[in-house]
Amino acid sequence: MTCKHLPRPDEEHREFREEADSLWRITLSPVTWVAHFLLSYIVVAVVCAKAPALLGTARIGLLVATLLALAVIVWLGLRAWRQWDWNNTGDYTNPVGEAEDRHQFLGHAAVLLALISAIGVIYGTLPVLMLESCR
Amino acid sequence: MSGGLIRTLHLGSTRRTRAPMLIAPALLAACEGQQSALAPAGSDARVLDDLFWVMLVGAVILWLLINGLFFYVTRINRAALSRRFANGLIVVGGVIFPTVVLGALLTYGLSIMPDQRAPGEGLTLRVTGEQWWWRVEYWPDGADAPIIAANEIRLPTGQRSEIVLDSARVIHSFWIPALGGKMDMFPGRESRMSLMPETPGRWRGQCAEFCGASHALMAFDVVAMPLADFTAWLQMQAAPARPPATDAAERGAQIFAREGCGACHAVRGTEARGAVGPDLTHVGSRLSLGAGTLKTTLTDFERWITHTGAIKPEVEMPAYDYLTDTDLSDLAQYLKGLE
Repeated sequence: MTCKHLPRPDEEHREFREEADSLWRITLSPVTWVAHFLLSYIVVAVVCAKAPALLGTARIGLLVATLLALAVIVWLGLRAWRQWDWNNTGDYTNPVGEAEDRHQFLGHAAVLLALISAIGVIYGTLPVLMLESCR
Repeated sequence: MSGGLIRTLHLGSTRRTRAPMLIAPALLAACEGQQSALAPAGSDARVLDDLFWVMLVGAVILWLLINGLFFYVTRINRAALSRRFANGLIVVGGVIFPTVVLGALLTYGLSIMPDQRAPGEGLTLRVTGEQWWWRVEYWPDGADAPIIAANEIRLPTGQRSEIVLDSARVIHSFWIPALGGKMDMFPGRESRMSLMPETPGRWRGQCAEFCGASHALMAFDVVAMPLADFTAWLQMQAAPARPPATDAAERGAQIFAREGCGACHAVRGTEARGAVGPDLTHVGSRLSLGAGTLKTTLTDFERWITHTGAIKPEVEMPAYDYLTDTDLSDLAQYLKGLE
């Protein structure tokens, strides 16, 4: 037996900090969705009210913003997927209140939030793709 | 008193038992006729009708699927599902299926919106909601001044007409179910829609936003006509009023002036220039009186003039019930003659 696996003195602090961070991280996908939603609505409302001629440019801009938002959400989703670690552990749910369990549960929740945020962003973009005028 | 109460209760129960029998044919009849979104006569209404059936059939299929599944797992096969299958069911039935179905419906809905919002191809109507009637202006392509009418919308078939909507005091909603969707009318803010009637014929429009005591009586006639007929009709509407053709009508015109009707109503070509109430220049040729409430027979003119508030609660026009029968008859002759 070696001393390699003995916890370092600040282990609990570090772990708590990491969990606190991942608690923040699970909100990032919905926040990206909210930002994309507000951006789409505000840009279209302002452009249609003030400068309808610029709608084409605004649509392209919003599509670029959509791709960025989706890239951010996919990246967050993949990180969360690894944190959930379902493939390795086989634990679909994490009902035990231990540190590792909490860690994986937060990953699970973040995956689901990333999924619904991605769907929200795609649905929110369909009108930008399909409606070509301010009418 | 108790006898009256019992009689009332008895009547009430009779009415209740009969109600389904009375309602069933009424509901079926509502699918056809002058004011039904399920009997479309214009391209916009047809698209909405298709959308309705797609949604209805889809909803019925989903209902059967969900309840069938529910019945299956609670009554036919009560064995516990494997966790793997249950998880799969949640992912496929709870995430993938609804996302794809809702995405497809959203795409379908968005694909029909541009046509519904397409601009008109020449004729513009300006309709203002009043309490409780419709001020209508026709602006043909390039016109400097409108042709004014009221409580009747005529549109040419086979072309898209622009309709600009406004309101005088409260929110109304402009709806011709046979021709298209509804659009709200706001005081101080223009909204717009466009309609493309396909079949010539006569329909009924109705205010679809509660706007006061006579909201339900705020209707209008809608006539879709082939372009040539429409153009001829509009020319006729643009003309000033016909002079009275009979002695009775002549006397009626004097009564109209004497009673001060011209303070509120305009009859173009005469001294009457009021703009508070509907323009009456061609009221005799309209299909209805009081915004879709009465017909335009002589009797109906008399009834309207003498019983405005009884026919249309809280209407602004006072009842001229003090007129003698002769005066009333002459006035009705005059108005009916304004074709």
